[in-house]
Amino acid sequence: MSTDLKFLVVDDFSTMRRIIKNLLHDLGYPNVTEADDGNTALPLLRAGEFDCLITDWNMPGMPGLELIKAVRADARLAKLPVLMLTAEAKRDQIIEAAQAGVNGYVIKPFTAATLKEKLDKILGAAGK
Amino acid sequence: MTNFSVLQGEYGACVEALSEAFSKADEAAFFAAVDHIVHMREPRMLHEIRKLTGGLQKALERFSIESRLADLAEHEIPGARARLTHVINMTDEAAHRTLDLVERSGPLAERVAREASVLIEALTAYRERPASAGFEGVTRSIEAFLPVVRTIEAFLPVARGDCEQIRHNLADVLLAQGYQDLTGQIIRSVIKLVEELEQTLGSLTRLSGDIVEHATLGENPNAGHGPVVPGVTRGEIASAQTDVDELLSGLGM
Repeated sequence: MSTDLKFLVVDDFSTMRRIIKNLLHDLGYPNVTEADDGNTALPLLRAGEFDCLITDWNMPGMPGLELIKAVRADARLAKLPVLMLTAEAKRDQIIEAAQAGVNGYVIKPFTAATLKEKLDKILGAAGK
Repeated sequence: MTNFSVLQGEYGACVEALSEAFSKADEAAFFAAVDHIVHMREPRMLHEIRKLTGGLQKALERFSIESRLADLAEHEIPGARARLTHVINMTDEAAHRTLDLVERSGPLAERVAREASVLIEALTAYRERPASAGFEGVTRSIEAFLPVVRTIEAFLPVARGDCEQIRHNLADVLLAQGYQDLTGQIIRSVIKLVEELEQTLGSLTRLSGDIVEHATLGENPNAGHGPVVPGVTRGEIASAQTDVDELLSGLGM
């Protein structure tokens, strides 16, 4: 598996971004960019040739679900592997996220093993 | 019957007795008639006084509740907001401090492991060297071991220093968790304030006899609800990652 994949991590809490960034580094993915909500993430995604998006749901400004809908509506980003990493754990929300087009859904608190498993799955399926 | 004819019926006899006592200059009968009239008026007066007192008491109670509410709104709520912001800052600071220490410890542990691997390789090479017999063999053995000794000499102080630093960092990670005690106390004080606010608003509602309709704020339907809080969050909730995986696999993902 390629380790030069480019990740965008979107979360409003800088500590959580740092934790995810460290975990990705340990998993062999050192190329990570950060954004603090959908509004800052979207222009980066449109300009940046990212290989994977990891996003929180509940963020001020543009929430993760809106970001995913915007990503799926953009022809250039429609196939981008997206992992939702969130504390939102209601059944209806998980279904809503699936319908919006997420490729994986991890609830917080999560483990490094869960993150690895979901990333392997969605990146494997995307042929990265 | 008009209002005044009711009064005439109630007071007619007394007024006649009063008038008669007055014309006859009968002092005892005059005051007896006056006392009787006063006595007749008393229950109505007392009722009015009771009504006034009740109203005054209610007004005072309402004033006291409203004063407390104003105080809560003016001082305590901004205070609570500041305290909760402080909690966010404290947790943020502690998390970053912990992450800093973890990030600093990782490379130290990696260096110890790397140097130990070099040492293991040197010892393995020494053990697997071709053996020679006799005095020459002993001399060669000592000569071959000298670089290993130098590697050990270089490794041990580095390993000791790195391990001491890692141990020190771990102790600091432990200390950084102390925020939980402080933030816990702050959050508890905010919970107490919310309870008081709830009780005060409840008292005011009861006193006013008003029906308070629950207003729903204009929310973004795409915004989340935040972390699940046991006992507060309603609806069907995935309590573990396995629940999420099952649900998604049911949807064909």
